[in-house]
Amino acid sequence: MPTWADQAKLNSTPIAWQWVCLGLIFLVSLIIPWIVSPLWIRIVTEIFMWAGLAQSWNIIGGYTGYLSFGHGAFFGMGAYVTGIAMMNLEWPFGVGLLFSGILAALLAAVIGYPTLRLRGAYFAIATWAFGEMIRQIATILDVTGGAFGMQLPPFLNLSFFYYVMLGITGLTYLTTYLLLERSRFGYKLLAIREHEEAAEMVGVDTVTIKIKAFALSAFFPGVFGGIYAYWVTYIHPDSVLGAQITDFMVVMVFLGGVGSLWGPFLGAFVVQLINRYLWLVWGEGTFYLIIIGAAICAVVLFIPNGIIGLLEKRIFSPRGALSQLRKLIKW
Amino acid sequence: MLLQSHELTISFGGLTAVDRLSLAVEKGSVLGIIGPNGSGKTTFFNLVTGAYAPDSGKVIFEGKDITGLRPHRIAQLGIGRTFQIPAPFSKMTVLQNVMVGTFIHASTMKAAKEKAWEILERVRLDEKANHQVVNVTLEDRKRLELARALATEPTLLLLDEAMAGLTPVEVKAAVELIQSLHTRGLTIIVVEHVMDVILSLCHRVVVLNYGRKIAEDTPDRIVNNQEVIKAYLGERYSARN
Repeated sequence: MPTWADQAKLNSTPIAWQWVCLGLIFLVSLIIPWIVSPLWIRIVTEIFMWAGLAQSWNIIGGYTGYLSFGHGAFFGMGAYVTGIAMMNLEWPFGVGLLFSGILAALLAAVIGYPTLRLRGAYFAIATWAFGEMIRQIATILDVTGGAFGMQLPPFLNLSFFYYVMLGITGLTYLTTYLLLERSRFGYKLLAIREHEEAAEMVGVDTVTIKIKAFALSAFFPGVFGGIYAYWVTYIHPDSVLGAQITDFMVVMVFLGGVGSLWGPFLGAFVVQLINRYLWLVWGEGTFYLIIIGAAICAVVLFIPNGIIGLLEKRIFSPRGALSQLRKLIKW
Repeated sequence: MLLQSHELTISFGGLTAVDRLSLAVEKGSVLGIIGPNGSGKTTFFNLVTGAYAPDSGKVIFEGKDITGLRPHRIAQLGIGRTFQIPAPFSKMTVLQNVMVGTFIHASTMKAAKEKAWEILERVRLDEKANHQVVNVTLEDRKRLELARALATEPTLLLLDEAMAGLTPVEVKAAVELIQSLHTRGLTIIVVEHVMDVILSLCHRVVVLNYGRKIAEDTPDRIVNNQEVIKAYLGERYSARN
């Protein structure tokens, strides 16, 4: 009879292998600023930011099963709050970031309390409306510079922003791993996603747990928004509160694999790389959005479990690909 | 009395699903609830577990008024339930499903895992512990329902048609399992259509019809009660005995 100790032994080999991979990726990430051109430092920094944002969305959308379409608002709010903290209050950058994150989490708790009672499309609509509301507020306020936006003190140090983004993204993934993959909290979230009534019947305080998850998923976008604002030094409502911010988070998570730890990273990597490549080829424009849109349709239709799902089926090894193909044509 | 309901009533639109229902369960006993489809059996469970709040009436558990408490609070107080149609956490393993139930008492993941293994062994589901729920049979899903409810360490267990859809052999195994739980001191309320199960398990039986209690007695006297035969059992069943 297998006991769970035996089970742990069985699982230990692939886990150790994963840690080695992760360590290597981390080491490579550390030296990237010394070996690539400034353009590529910029692109990799963006990839890290999007990987972190996608994971944040994954906490509420993937693990908990509540699709938030207003998540960009937390990012934009973080950008403005850090800007205001640095310009008007003359706080240091780090304090501004922390303040942005906490404020975003608090706002999420306040918004979540009434809206997390709604399910499916209704929650999506409510959060979308919330996102629009924040954008309108940023457009009319004086302190945010209204539609003209806001200028932050310039700090032109690519490596600095690269390492800050790497650190916070690492923290996002570490938090997800510890709090969602390996703890009671994470199991409760999955239970809520899979069957909310049954979860309540076995003692899960669904209201509190959902609010905590929503607040956690808003904290990191708040921080990322702050870093982004200081990095690009100029923000306005369309650049940090536009609908495309949320859209990209959702798209990356679905492409990579919804509800998985590494799916959002893979999704962000692929989407942002294609995005930037097309931008380099065609220059400034919106044509690349059409290609990305078509790619998303293909993903949702043909690989609903995302890239992670494909990896698990070993479709990228020749033998695995063949067996999948056979299954597909029933041969 | 472990659980009492006083004049419990709830209506949905014009339909009174449970109508001034008063009943009591003695500690350590097994109570059966029978009645035609739509007679309010499952609705009664939903009222006791807090899924619905009653329009009027009270639910008293261990001397405390638990009417209108949220379901997770009631689960923490010691009432466990299974669903008529199994409601597992599908994209999790059998073990993980049960672990979620143990979280009420287990404060670490290690303790939760150990407790969950122990319960899976008790309901003989330990060999499927690491299977995804989508890959297990209906019988195993019914066992999983039970295991997950037991994981909360309830003092009162509500079983909603735990045998529906099982083969006679599987029913026999399930009855033995429930009997073993009862001998361990668990108080149980059983909603069931299979009369043999009711006869072999229950100390007392309550019969519902249109949300009202039409009879309450020992199982052997219930099957000869004229009103129960008319409303639920039918003439054929009484002739067989």
